[in-house]
Amino acid sequence: MEIQDTFVALSTPHGESALGVIRCSGPLCPNLVKDIFGNKSPTPRRTYVSDYHSETGEFLDNVVYTFYENEKSYTGDSMLELSCHGNPFILQHILEDLVTRGCRHAQPGEFTQSAFLNGKMDLSQAEAVIDLIKARTDLSFKAASNQLQGSLSRRINGIVENLLQIIAEIEAYIDFPEEDLPTDGESSPISRLKNLSDEISELSETARTGIFLREGVKTIIIGAPNAGKSSLLNQLLGESRAIVSNQPGTTRDYIEASFYVDPYRINILDTAGVHSTENEIEKAGIAKTLEQIELSDLILLTIDASESPPLFPDSVLSLLKLDNTILVHNKSDLEFCPKSKAYLPEFQRIEISALTGAGISDLKVKIKDLLGNPIVSEQGDVVAVSARHHTALLEGSKELMSSIDLLNLDEPAELVASHLRDAMGSLERIVGRIDNERMLDKLFSSFCIGK
Amino acid sequence: MRISNKEPFDVIVCGAGHAGVEASLAAARMGARTLLLSGNIDTIGAMSCNPAIGGQAKGHIVREIDALGGEMGINADTTGIQFRLLNASKGAAVQAPRVQSDKKAYQFRLKHTIEHQKNLTLFQATVTELIFKGNMVVGCKTNLDLDLFGHSIVVTTGTFLRGLMHVGKKKNKGGRMGDFSAESLSNSFTEAGIQLERLKTGTPPRILGRSIDYSSLEEQPGDENPTLFGFYDTRSETDMFHVEHPGERKLGWEPGKNQVSCWITYTSEDTHNIIRENLHLSAMYSGAIEGIGPRYCPSIEDKIVRFCDKDRHRLFLEPEGRNTNEYYINGLSTSLPFNVQEDILETIPGLEHAQLMRPAYAVEYDFAPPTQLYPSLESKFVENLFFAGQINGTSGYEEAAGQGIMAGINAVKKGRGEEPLILQRHESYIGVLIDDLVTKGTSEPYRMFTSRAEHRLLLNHSSAELRLSEHAINSCLIDASRWSKISYKISSIAKWEKNFEVLKTKGGTFAEAIRRDEKVIDYPNGFKSETAEIQNEVIYRLKYKGYLSRELKLVQRMASVDRIKLPTPFEYSKVRGLRKESAVKLNSIQPINLGQAKRISGVNPSDISILMVLLEAGKLR
Repeated sequence: MEIQDTFVALSTPHGESALGVIRCSGPLCPNLVKDIFGNKSPTPRRTYVSDYHSETGEFLDNVVYTFYENEKSYTGDSMLELSCHGNPFILQHILEDLVTRGCRHAQPGEFTQSAFLNGKMDLSQAEAVIDLIKARTDLSFKAASNQLQGSLSRRINGIVENLLQIIAEIEAYIDFPEEDLPTDGESSPISRLKNLSDEISELSETARTGIFLREGVKTIIIGAPNAGKSSLLNQLLGESRAIVSNQPGTTRDYIEASFYVDPYRINILDTAGVHSTENEIEKAGIAKTLEQIELSDLILLTIDASESPPLFPDSVLSLLKLDNTILVHNKSDLEFCPKSKAYLPEFQRIEISALTGAGISDLKVKIKDLLGNPIVSEQGDVVAVSARHHTALLEGSKELMSSIDLLNLDEPAELVASHLRDAMGSLERIVGRIDNERMLDKLFSSFCIGK
Repeated sequence: MRISNKEPFDVIVCGAGHAGVEASLAAARMGARTLLLSGNIDTIGAMSCNPAIGGQAKGHIVREIDALGGEMGINADTTGIQFRLLNASKGAAVQAPRVQSDKKAYQFRLKHTIEHQKNLTLFQATVTELIFKGNMVVGCKTNLDLDLFGHSIVVTTGTFLRGLMHVGKKKNKGGRMGDFSAESLSNSFTEAGIQLERLKTGTPPRILGRSIDYSSLEEQPGDENPTLFGFYDTRSETDMFHVEHPGERKLGWEPGKNQVSCWITYTSEDTHNIIRENLHLSAMYSGAIEGIGPRYCPSIEDKIVRFCDKDRHRLFLEPEGRNTNEYYINGLSTSLPFNVQEDILETIPGLEHAQLMRPAYAVEYDFAPPTQLYPSLESKFVENLFFAGQINGTSGYEEAAGQGIMAGINAVKKGRGEEPLILQRHESYIGVLIDDLVTKGTSEPYRMFTSRAEHRLLLNHSSAELRLSEHAINSCLIDASRWSKISYKISSIAKWEKNFEVLKTKGGTFAEAIRRDEKVIDYPNGFKSETAEIQNEVIYRLKYKGYLSRELKLVQRMASVDRIKLPTPFEYSKVRGLRKESAVKLNSIQPINLGQAKRISGVNPSDISILMVLLEAGKLR
C-alpha cells in the first residue's frame, strides 16, 4: 500500500514543558531534512543539532533532529523526529511550517495505526501501545508494558492448552466410537471446566482494574447540602480547591480534581447537595447529579453525622451499591447523632473530620480496598485486560458454564463440544487463531486410535 | 468409436480407484466424452485395505457423494454384508453409517456400472507420461505406445506413484501387493514444476477364517435395521439395480438382509514382548521408510511404543466377503517381517492357529502436496490438470471418492468454460476436506474427522441431499424426477418446521414438546404420512433449533468474507505492510477469496485487515 501522505503531530502533551517532540512520518521526510537542515544524507537514527528556519526564512528554534529510514522506523515509513523547546507558541509555529511544506496533521493514533498496517506490530501490541501512551502511574505503565511482552498472552495460552485437552477428550469419544477408549479413571471434565471458567472470569475482572489504571477512577462526592462535601474534597486533595462555606448550596457547579491513591488516579467530582425537594430548579440539578452518579465507579456518600440522617430521594439510593459506595460520617469532631450512626448500615463506613483531617488516611485505605488490588503474576507482572479482552473473556466463561450445564444434564457430546468451540473462539479473539491441528495433536498423543 | 482416433476426449481419468471411478462417472453423466484408464481393469474400485465403507465423517462423505449422484453409496449398500450405525446413542449430527462390503462384489459391480455408463470408455493402459502444450496438459502417453488426447486430465494414481512396499527389510515395487507401480509418471509432474513428497500407509495381515478359534471371541453383529447410504426415498429403484437387472424394478433380496458378523479379540502381554524384541526389524523403526505415516492409524509397533501403559489393544476380525474365507485383522497393521507376524498371531486369543494368507505391509508412495491446487482441484501450475485422491495426500476410500467426484465435475466445467463447483465448508464434509487440503496442506495421510468441520451440527448425514441437491441439479448430476422429489422433501420439511412452532399438543406446541425430548404420539395425520426421512429431519431441526440457528448466523457472517474475491495469480510480496511470512504463504496458496486467505495458518487478522483495506481502495489487482 502506498501511503501518499506525510503526517505530523506533537508527540508530547500540549502545554508548557521543557521539551516538545514533533514527529513526522511519510515519504516527504528525507526532503524535509534536506530542505530545513541542508542535510542531504542524514545517518539514520543519529541525532543532529541544528537551527530550524521556516520556509520564509524566519528563525524558529534550535532543535535536535533524528531521521529514521524506511521500515526501520516505528511506523515502518521514513520518519523525522524533532526535539524542540517546550514553548507552545514555538511548537505551533514549527507544526504550521511543516504543514506548509506539505505535511498534514495526523489523526489521533495514526502513528500506531500505520505501524500496525506496515506490519510493525500486531493488534494486541497496537492496543498496548495506546495504553502505554495513556499510562499515568507507575503500575499502569507496568501493566501496559507487560501486555506488550505477552504476559497476558502467556496466561491465556495456559488456559487454551487446558481447554484443548478437554476438547480433545470429548472429540475422541465423538469421532472414534469404535476405539477402546478409557471410560473411567479420567477425571470428569466438569470440575476441570469449572476451574477454567473461574480462571477466565478472574482474568476478565481485571478489566476493571485495567480501566482504573488507564483512565483513573471516576469518583463522586454526594451528600446533603452543608454535609461537608467540599471540605472533604479539600482534605483529599490537600489544598483549598473548592470554595468552602457554611452556607448550604455554595457549590453550584461541579468541581473536578484528581489525586492518587496508589496505584489509582482518583478523578473526583464534587456536586451540589442532594436532598428531597419540590423546587423545580433544584430538581433539575439533582437530575444532573443522578446522571453523574450513574457514570461513577466510586461514590463517597457524605453525611453530617452530628445531625439526623438526611432524606435522600429513592432515585439516588437505588444507585448505591455495596461495591461502589463508601458512607463517610463527617464531623467526627462533633458529637454523633445515634440515628445517623445507624443509617444505611449495610454499606462500608468511615468516620472522618473534614475540618481537622482526622480519618482521611483511613478513608484512602478504604478506597483502595474497595477498588481491589490488581492481579500480579508470579513474575510480579500486573495483569490487566482491555475492554475488548474483557468482553471476549466474559463470553468464553459463559460458554464454559453452558457446557457444564449440558454435561450435568447428560446432553449429547457434540452440543457440549459446540459450546467449548465457542469458548475457544472467544480466546482466539485475544491470542489469534488456534488451528484444529493443535487439538488433534493432543487427541492423538492422549489416545491410541487404531482402527 | 476407436480409442486410437486422434479426436480428443473431453475428460481423461488416469486411475480407476475410488477417486477415478467417481470422477469418470460424474464426467460421463454430465454428458462429457470420458475415457477411464486403468493399468489393470480387474482391480477397478479395489478395496486395498479394510473391507468397509463409511464410519465417522467418512459415512457423511458417502452420503454427500450419493446426493451428488455418485455411485459409492449404492455400491456399498448393494454389496454390503454388515451394516452398523455408529454413535447411535449420540446426537443425529455425529451418527454415521458404516457398511462392510463384499470386496470382490464391490469391485465387480463398479466395473459393471462403468461398462453400462453412456459416454464412458474404459480402457486398460498404464499412463507413463503427460503431454503438455505450454503450461497446459493436452493428453497422456501410455505403455502401449498409444498417445491419448483430452481437454482435461484427472490424475487419480492412489499409492501407485513410485509405490514401494515393505515387509520387514524386504522391499518390493508396487502400489498394492500383487500389483505394479507407476515409475515414470512422477517425472512428468516434476518437469511441470509440481513438487512431490513421500507418504506412507500400512495394511494388516489377512488370515484364513476356518483357522480362527471363535469360541473365545466376542461377536459383533450388524444392525437389525440397517442404515443405508443411498437416498432411496428420492432415487428411482432402477438407480439402485441398474447394474444387476437393467430396466427391472426389483431384486430377489434387499440390502441389509442376511448379514455376517465381525469378531473382537485383543493383543496380549506376549504380543507386546515379541514386538518390543523385534522392533529393530520393523521397516518403520529401522529407518527404511522415509514417508510419514498417519497418527490415527498407527502400526501395532507404534501403538506399543507410544502407549506403553496400555496392556492390550483391541482387534477386529472382519470378513472380506461372502464367497471367500479371508479375514482382515483391523488394528494389526505392521511392517515387521513375515516370520514375526506369524509369531505375533500365535499370541493373540483365537488366532493361536491362524493361517496367514497375505502378510501385513507398509507402502510408501509419491504425493503432490495439495496446496499446489486451486479449490476446484485444478493444478496452479498446469492448466486443465486435475488431481484427486491419495495423490493429494489423503487416506481412505471415501475421501478419495469425494475428491474424485468434484474433480470430475470441475474437469467437465473447465472444458465448457463454466465456473467451477466449489462446495463450502458449512454445506458439506467434501467442502471441508478440499478446503483443508488446498488451504492448509497436510503432513500425514489426511483423514476426515467430524471435528474438522466447524459447522458439524449442520452436516448431519441424513441432510446431505437437502444441502447439496441444488448443486446437483445445476450441474446436471441428478435427473429431473429425483430433483422434484427432493424439492418436495425440502418444502415439506420447511412447512412442518414452521407449523410445529404454532400447532398445539399437550402442554404447548409440538416444537416445545420435541425440544423437551417428550415422546409425542399425537402428531397430525399429515405428518405421520410423510416419509421417515422427512419426519426425522423435522424433529432434528426443531430439537436443536437454538444451536442450528446460531451456526447459520455464524455462516452468514463468514459468507461475507467468502464473497470477497481475491485476484489469482497474484504477487503478494508487492503488498507493503504484509508480514513476510504471510506474503510467502499467500503466494504459495493463492487464495481465491478473503475467507480462504483467512484460513491459511500463519496469516493473521492484521494481514487480513491490510488485504481488506487494499481491496476496498481498489489497489489489489
